[in-house]
Amino acid sequence: MSDRLRRVVSAIPLHMIIIGITLVWSLPSVGLLVGSFRPKNDVFSTGWWTVFQHPFDFTQFQLDNYIHVLTAEGMGRAFLNSLTIAIPSTIIPITVAAFAAYAFAWMDFPGRQVLFVVVVGLLVIPLQMTLIPLLRVYNRLGLSGAFLGIWLAHTGYGLPFAVYLLRNFIGTLPKDLLESAFLDGASHLTAFTRLVLPLSVPAIASLAIFQFLWVWNDLLVALIYLGGTEEVAPLTLKLSALVQSMGQDWHLLTAAAFVSMALPLVLFFSLQRYFVQGLLAGSVKG
Amino acid sequence: MLQRVSWILWTGIVVGSLLLAGCAPRTVTVTVEVPVERTVEVERTVEVEVPVLTSGGAVTVLGVWGGTEFESFSAAVEPFTQETGVGMAFETSRELSTVLVTRVEAGNPPDLAILPNPGLLKEFAAAGALVPLDTFIDMDQLQEDYAQAWIELASYEDHLYGIWVKGALKSLVWYSPAAFEAGGYEVPTTWEEMLALSDQIVADGGTPWCIGLESGAASGWPGTDWIEDIMLRTAGPEVYDQWVNHEIPWTDPAVKTAWEIFGEIVRNEDYVWGGTTGVLSTFFGDSPTPLFDDPPGCYMHRQASFITSFFPEGVTAEDYSVFPLPGIDPQYGVPALGAGDVIVMFNDTPEARAFMEYLATAQPHEIWAARGGFISPHRGVSLDAYPDEITRVQAETLAGAEVFRFDGSDLMPTAVGSGTFWTGVMDYVAGEDLDAILEMIEASAVDAYGG
Repeated sequence: MSDRLRRVVSAIPLHMIIIGITLVWSLPSVGLLVGSFRPKNDVFSTGWWTVFQHPFDFTQFQLDNYIHVLTAEGMGRAFLNSLTIAIPSTIIPITVAAFAAYAFAWMDFPGRQVLFVVVVGLLVIPLQMTLIPLLRVYNRLGLSGAFLGIWLAHTGYGLPFAVYLLRNFIGTLPKDLLESAFLDGASHLTAFTRLVLPLSVPAIASLAIFQFLWVWNDLLVALIYLGGTEEVAPLTLKLSALVQSMGQDWHLLTAAAFVSMALPLVLFFSLQRYFVQGLLAGSVKG
Repeated sequence: MLQRVSWILWTGIVVGSLLLAGCAPRTVTVTVEVPVERTVEVERTVEVEVPVLTSGGAVTVLGVWGGTEFESFSAAVEPFTQETGVGMAFETSRELSTVLVTRVEAGNPPDLAILPNPGLLKEFAAAGALVPLDTFIDMDQLQEDYAQAWIELASYEDHLYGIWVKGALKSLVWYSPAAFEAGGYEVPTTWEEMLALSDQIVADGGTPWCIGLESGAASGWPGTDWIEDIMLRTAGPEVYDQWVNHEIPWTDPAVKTAWEIFGEIVRNEDYVWGGTTGVLSTFFGDSPTPLFDDPPGCYMHRQASFITSFFPEGVTAEDYSVFPLPGIDPQYGVPALGAGDVIVMFNDTPEARAFMEYLATAQPHEIWAARGGFISPHRGVSLDAYPDEITRVQAETLAGAEVFRFDGSDLMPTAVGSGTFWTGVMDYVAGEDLDAILEMIEASAVDAYGG
């Protein structure tokens, strides 16, 4: 009993520190959330923390910002556009990366290491450097302003990291397992589809979250390759256009941030258990 | 078994997405290009050319306007679309220059773009990216509709490249008539009177000025407007032009004087709401809010005409008024400092030409004027089109000012006008030595102007 008490007591400072850090870390988001419910004039005249002077005065909160954002013209279209961009831009690179990762980890072919180093090397190339040359190619091929173009762009930008992460994960699968599969006459394709892929679900799922979030939040790539016209503009572009040229109406962005966060949050919580496993993917050799 | 099911699921998703990849973009790309007969330009008898375009093409326009600005611009373009069937696909981008430079460089510019300053226009014109407008625009009519200063600002090497679609007047001081009346204050007509009034307000226990310089990465720009206004009033338009073109150095006494006169107000802790710390950290859009507090947090706010769209909710046109920033040296009178948005053309299509010709007429300007938050440099716009007296006065000043100069920081190379000038203002208000700041800006100017 006293042992247990001592354990609890000795853990208190650690817990205090963790709770403290968590609070500090989430403070800006809390401020944003509180701000998104406040009327325009309040946002402009006082800080969000002043709501705690009268915490039970609910008249200081309203939904106007959300209503304005959600009812803005073309918002539904933009939401669909974002999905149209984000779903294939998540699935294509991960599919390609899974095949590539298997090959890098378990297939013997000349130049394997060199090729892998090249792929990993691509991680350090800033995507901004590719904008102009790639857009030129797209213009030739008629891909600018088309969804296929942006899927390919996101695939390209996502692949190095995806290949790197999956290769490290797939590389840690027990060697005996695959060898016994090959002894039983399994081809590489069978081993990949029947053995490696099911075992890699945690890594693939967490990678899917990363990639989806990155594509969902992307503004620059869409702006360059897709443009901001009504038919193709994703949510990020639409939301940024709520603000006028001198930054008028910026208070709407508080609500806009939470609107655009909604889907990723749902995704994150429903795939959370994979996410935690995924962070460890490839970090410990089995 | 379970693994097999998930594998089938995966294959399904992959195949499905590939199928999507195959068919979806085809439906999207079609909408943009529609061939239109070229014969249109031959007959230029105004009304006749318009109906030929009913094939329903579209022009793509890139601009920084969002929210209500975009709605007003759409409304202004509406009659054109109805008459010609040519639609407008407007793209809003707050990072206009980045996006535009990238797309021009890659050979994929929008048909038209609305630039927030003439500096960008000159850069694109020099690079040969723009279509000269004087080949199809009626120049005689244009000269009648726009002051020479505006036409020159949109020209490069004797060719016209842009049409001004929106103007802004900067030399304005906003105040609350009710607060002035309560304090027994009178609107000053000279700079001395304005400073005397400021002292009077301080003596009465108030704060005369609200100034906010914070604007994210662009922090400091409201201060550059002050200095430009003062330059025009102390050194005159010729020296102002020399300064903008870097024919005199930043360390010139004329420039230094302008900074010091600004400093007399902004660095005076009694004069400014929140002290210099308040000046540095207040968002420029929020800074006029104390004008309408009770009792007033401050009494005067110098800012361009667009600031009304930042005024707090519930503030109506009766609650505020405006007086022109007074002159300093009588020989230069009361000059007007302004800014504006200019539309330029990257792709020479019949639709784009028709669109430009439409924007050069008074009709779209009057539509937007009636919706408020807008003044036009177009002289054909009837003053009756403006919704209230305050806007009307501004529009009159803008179109008719004897001495008009464009916002200098917008004309300077970006490294100076959107760089060291801004940071220099922040440093100056924070209390750093003026000579050191001016030398720092001068050093960057020597690089930026190419020696």
